[in-house]
Amino acid sequence: MLDLRHVCKRFKRSPAVDDVSFSARAGEITGYLGPNGSGKSTTMKMITGLMETTSGKILFKGESIERDLIAYKQRIGYVPEEPHLYSHLSGLEYLTMVGKLRGLPAKPTIDRIDGLLQLFALHGDRHTAIGAYSKGMRQKILLSAALLHNPDLLILDEPFSGLDVGTGLVLRSLIQELARRGKAVLFSSHELETVERVCSHVVILNRGKIVADDSIEHLRMLMAVPTLEGIFSQLAVEQDTAAISREIADLIHA
Amino acid sequence: MSDAARRKLQFRVLRREFLFRIADLEVLSAHALGDANKLLGQFATLLILISVVFSFGAFGVGDANMPPSAFLVLTLYMEHFLIATTMLVVGIFAVLTWDSTFPDRRDVLVLAPLPVRAWTVFLAKVAATATALSLVVLLLHCGTGLTWPFAFAAKGAGLVGFLRAFAAYWFTMMAAAALVYCGVLAVQGLAAQILPRRLFLRASGFLQMAAFCLFVCVYFLEPPVDGPKMLIAPENHRLLLWIPSYWFLGLFHQLVGSTYPSLVPLARRAWMALALGGLAAFMAYALSYMRTMRQIVEEPDITSATHGVKWLPRFGSAVQTAIGQFCVRTLARSRQHRLILAFYLGIGLAFTVFLLQFLAAMSRLPATAAVNVWREANTPLLAASAVMMALAVVGLRVAFAFPLEPRANWIFRAVGVRRGPEILAATRRVILLLCVSPVWLVSAVVCLRLWPPGQAAAHLAILGLFAILLVDIALWGFRKIPFTCSYLPGKSQVHMVFLGAVGLLWLLAQSVVFEQQALLKRGEIAGVLALLGVAAVAVRLHVKALARSDERDLQFEEEPAPAVLELGLFRDGAVIGSRSSDPPST
Repeated sequence: MLDLRHVCKRFKRSPAVDDVSFSARAGEITGYLGPNGSGKSTTMKMITGLMETTSGKILFKGESIERDLIAYKQRIGYVPEEPHLYSHLSGLEYLTMVGKLRGLPAKPTIDRIDGLLQLFALHGDRHTAIGAYSKGMRQKILLSAALLHNPDLLILDEPFSGLDVGTGLVLRSLIQELARRGKAVLFSSHELETVERVCSHVVILNRGKIVADDSIEHLRMLMAVPTLEGIFSQLAVEQDTAAISREIADLIHA
Repeated sequence: MSDAARRKLQFRVLRREFLFRIADLEVLSAHALGDANKLLGQFATLLILISVVFSFGAFGVGDANMPPSAFLVLTLYMEHFLIATTMLVVGIFAVLTWDSTFPDRRDVLVLAPLPVRAWTVFLAKVAATATALSLVVLLLHCGTGLTWPFAFAAKGAGLVGFLRAFAAYWFTMMAAAALVYCGVLAVQGLAAQILPRRLFLRASGFLQMAAFCLFVCVYFLEPPVDGPKMLIAPENHRLLLWIPSYWFLGLFHQLVGSTYPSLVPLARRAWMALALGGLAAFMAYALSYMRTMRQIVEEPDITSATHGVKWLPRFGSAVQTAIGQFCVRTLARSRQHRLILAFYLGIGLAFTVFLLQFLAAMSRLPATAAVNVWREANTPLLAASAVMMALAVVGLRVAFAFPLEPRANWIFRAVGVRRGPEILAATRRVILLLCVSPVWLVSAVVCLRLWPPGQAAAHLAILGLFAILLVDIALWGFRKIPFTCSYLPGKSQVHMVFLGAVGLLWLLAQSVVFEQQALLKRGEIAGVLALLGVAAVAVRLHVKALARSDERDLQFEEEPAPAVLELGLFRDGAVIGSRSSDPPST
């Protein structure tokens, strides 16, 4: 459903994303992993049309997203890494505004918003300004906004951030359920355990380049490592973590 | 839903959203639901009040006893005054809404993933701004726009004459407002277009302050119309061609059909300026808008320089130094806070320029020709230094009340900063360093250079004590770390503050007259100094005692005034409602 072909993004000549190519297929959950600054969020922003590519192509259902960006945006749901929301609006007002901006029919949208707020346990706070919401509540609003229009492609950048255990479990099942119903899910997270449980296929990025693009099972076999954490450590962690932690402890004790 | 219908709906939703975000709602207190509307309501009340006050003047103009020459002078003066005031108010509006002209990072990140065209967002932004601008003009002229067209209509022209004057009046005011706003947009758009984004963000704050100073200075310095002769005089022609308020005076006269030949070139300038200003603003704004949208996502916002020079002084203990340096750095790097301070300093500067102009005019009078009015203590200079000092202190105090990143104040709560007097002392030192010292030093240079040393020294001593007293009054009951407490705008009662400021100015004027007389007598000046000294010490002690009080923890969240006021009544020696677990007093 989503194909990235030799995508590059340069900021003042330094490459943030360098020749990235992968696919996120319908009915699959693709994990997109990488250490901080590896270019994950930049890729996500290019996929959502927030940022232009320097070179390469992003295809949705075989067509370049640039061809009709508005129609493409109608079909995607995006949960950004940072919870950018209009904090003076209430949760209900925000979702209603998003529904209107997406051109969704009024009555069914109101029912759908009501249902989402109920299911995410936000109904009691629906008239409270988002500014007063906790991080988890904001995340739930972002998720609701991303699901409101029943998108074909879900792009989730750190969707578990700030969620309590219960909601996290619900979201994990929800992602799997949506994939079962034929949606493509591109999912970025630092929680490798969750990625391992949820994703069928992972793409690992390091310094803007893809270092792995395969199913988790195949990677385990190939690298003879039992966990995704082990795979990730070998491919993308370049520091001696034990030495650094010892140095930090020494420093604060000095 | 069809594409056109969806775009129309998107436009309506976004226009409303942008219109209600003219004021920055991020800084509001968690209790401040609806208070932004209250604040906007207070600004509206202020504009209506000004309009109603000015509108009364029109009732006496049509008086049959008024000589035609006086009628002519008065109407010309008022026409120009109303145009110039409109341009000033719109200029201030443009400066205050400077940051809402372009989309911010949040706008882009919220709206860009949605199926909304950049063009629709742009049009909604323009429509919201135009609506707000029209509202400002409408409120400012809600009284004057009904009464003065009667006075400005040609005598004996009847209903048709009134309707023509009415239409001309509103068109002129709207056109004057549009030119000012377009000018600001064009400058901003051009800067955004030619400068790299980071540089633009740095320069934008200075441009904003420069624009504010320009509007205030032009308003106070431009010559008022003192009759038709002033407009006809050949020596004034060149000057008037450079003053936009006169262009619109010409335009108004062209529209009502009056025949002052000297106003024709001015009207032509108004039309040209409108056409060029509108075109330049649209081109620069539209081009830079699209560029800015892209840059916001790709580039980080303003960052501090990385020279790492430790140039800030210590402010006392470690905690005081941390708070003091935090205040200085916030003020240096936050455009919003610099603007608040610049707003007050700009008004002070305008007053100073106005007073100096008055002094210069006084020195040219035949009655004072024998005396050099500059060379001895005079009321305009005394007033200028006092007004600058007062506005600098008040401006910084107001800036302290506006938070920067209110959510980031958790660090001050988490580290357990509780020592009220220490924080108060650090805050006081910041005001003394940033506001009192510069104004006092500039006053010292001017006074010591111009006046006899005795008079200059006495005034500087008075000014210093006045500043110390003012700083302590400004910090009365202040139990916050500057820039960290959320803001409750409705509490500030802008319209009442305006009236209070007018009263204070009058009081200051009276005090300055008294000071000038006292400066000539040693005994009196010693008395004044002693009185001010005692007042300063008393206020200082009281403010410190308030800060030391155990109950007065630092405040990080502004709270609304209680709906029910406690009367503090006592029954049988016990406070009503006191907890039963409280130990009995012995």
